[in-house]
Amino acid sequence: MLRTSTLLCSVAIVALASGLGLNAYAADPIKVGIVTPLSGSYAPIGKQVRWGAELAVKEINAAGGVNGRPFELLFEDEEANPPVAVRKSEKLLQQDKVDLLTGTVNSGSTLAVGQVAERNNRILVTTVSYAPSITGAQCNPNVFRVNANAFMQSNALTSWLTKNVSGKRYFFIGPDYEMGRSTVSAFQDDIKRLGGTDVGSAYPPLGAKDFTTYVGQIRAARPDVIMTATAGNDTVRLLTQLKEYGILSNKLTLAGAAGAVTQENIGAMGGAGEGFLSAAGYSIDIDTPANKKFVTAFKKEFQSDPDLFAADTYGLFYLFKQAIEKAGGTEEQKLRAAMEDASWETPQGTKKMRKGDHQAIVDMVVVKVNGSDFQTVGKVPGAEAVGPDKCEKF
Amino acid sequence: MEELLGYLHVVVLPQVVDALIIGVALALVALGLTMIFGLLDVINLAHGDLYMLGGYAAFTLLGWGAGYWSALVLVPILVGIVGWGLEELGIRPLLPRADRAIVTLLLTFGVSLILRDVAQVVWGTETYAVAAPFTGIASFADVFVPTYRIFVFGVGVAAIFATWWLLYRTRIGAVLRATAVDPPMVASFGIPIRWVYGFTFLYGCGLAGLAGVLLGPIYAVFPTMGHDFLVMAFAVVIVGGMGSVIGAVVAALLLAQVQGLASLWIPPVWAETLVYGVMLLVLVARPAGLFNRLGEA
Repeated sequence: MLRTSTLLCSVAIVALASGLGLNAYAADPIKVGIVTPLSGSYAPIGKQVRWGAELAVKEINAAGGVNGRPFELLFEDEEANPPVAVRKSEKLLQQDKVDLLTGTVNSGSTLAVGQVAERNNRILVTTVSYAPSITGAQCNPNVFRVNANAFMQSNALTSWLTKNVSGKRYFFIGPDYEMGRSTVSAFQDDIKRLGGTDVGSAYPPLGAKDFTTYVGQIRAARPDVIMTATAGNDTVRLLTQLKEYGILSNKLTLAGAAGAVTQENIGAMGGAGEGFLSAAGYSIDIDTPANKKFVTAFKKEFQSDPDLFAADTYGLFYLFKQAIEKAGGTEEQKLRAAMEDASWETPQGTKKMRKGDHQAIVDMVVVKVNGSDFQTVGKVPGAEAVGPDKCEKF
Repeated sequence: MEELLGYLHVVVLPQVVDALIIGVALALVALGLTMIFGLLDVINLAHGDLYMLGGYAAFTLLGWGAGYWSALVLVPILVGIVGWGLEELGIRPLLPRADRAIVTLLLTFGVSLILRDVAQVVWGTETYAVAAPFTGIASFADVFVPTYRIFVFGVGVAAIFATWWLLYRTRIGAVLRATAVDPPMVASFGIPIRWVYGFTFLYGCGLAGLAGVLLGPIYAVFPTMGHDFLVMAFAVVIVGGMGSVIGAVVAALLLAQVQGLASLWIPPVWAETLVYGVMLLVLVARPAGLFNRLGEA
């Protein structure tokens, strides 16, 4: 009996020791902290962020990593809530010693975590947040954005709408925080400049359950187009409730931010999102070999279609790889310099980082919901949509 | 003048109608909460999660191919049984204790957290739409109301009247009311108090389950739906008077109107704050709430 246990012990010790030995000799992983909503109203977005990151990391690690170092992903749930995002990112930086941060969805979270990253001398990249201030009035030397911001979306979408929709009366809806307010104000400015009429706006709180409050207001405003900046489950409730109340009809055009109707929430809407128009930096039907390869690999891995969040997050890891190789490591100063003038390949084509405000220049596509698919109905080059650099801090 | 009338007609009136419907559903959740408090002195913090369970049970049953009508009947029974199990296994052993108010509060808080996490594990964190049994829209004098919401109103009112009838017109109700006042006296008549308590939980939680099925198609189902609703239901119970059945119904209708109308002019988040403001005012002016406890009226 004693012998058996001794034997077992030594086997265990050997197994443990060899395990430890393996770890000690393997290259140090590059730790990437992903602070993203895994629960709550924005959970569907967080899921795509997670999948995009996992697929890219799987591919890069299988091909030998970055200078031999593999990527390691550490996930934390930010609950789309800035204070939670700050707490979780502090934990990732202090305790887990991550080299890079990404994943934040709520623009308030991105702004707040950006400051945490700056204090800790680390880089944060958002692949989702589109409040213009992130790379505008509140730009931060340690924050980059690889997705299209609200200005770019608004530019591309409003010029398409005013050319292709005959009605001139526009009603605006946005969640009551930084992203919602700034997106709606970008829409309003562009629509007014292009000759449309602003007939009203509503700002429900993030995570609102009941949008019926606004039904009367919308009915009284008699809009031809409703533009919304809601996202995730909020859009599900907004559009199903508008449909329930008979507001949606073929005389009304639905349009809005790129995150409003996506692959992840379209199923839950039961057709209420039909015909919804948005401008985004990605569409699943982009006809390039790089995108086809990405979509095929994504579907095989997750049995689901990728959306813009997955594509932008996936693309980001190739920027990380390129910049870390160029900088020779993850040291903050060198990495920033390497990212600032980067051009890199993504499923949607070549993206270019603008040094002045850390906004990536992305070609825009206008897409329309058709059944459960997104169809491209128009295109706007990135350089045309991106607008002037408004960052004054660096 | 005409413009004002138009505004009242197109914007305000639909909101009043809508708040009336939501108020009825809110009353269903508050009724169970107040009955349980009135009889057992137990504040059931898991009540909102039983409402959530009702929503998910309906979603799951529909997914298995059951019709909406069978879900409408089955779900309240299922949720009622879960509530009964909570009383039987969790609350009962704690009732003899002197500090039962606080220990049962902690227990039901723990159960609430567990139920919410179980829901996240079983159904995930996403929101699911529950298909309404019928769609369509009715209009009365140019006020548009989805027919499903009218149906929710009808079922809710029927359930409220059934509860009133049960409590005030049947022998079971007489026993319940007597137990609320003097349990030892009821026991001395040879009526098993444990069954009275069990029934109260079964019925009260069944009502929460019913509210879950009814509101599922309107608000969709998600893991935190119970928590959001419970806070509102508590305000209702406090305003109406802890343990008062009529108070719960009146306060539910009242607070739903306060919230609904206020959110037309102030941000909805502040409308919620206003509801708690009303609650505070009632607590200051009439600490026992607007109405008397069950059995005392």
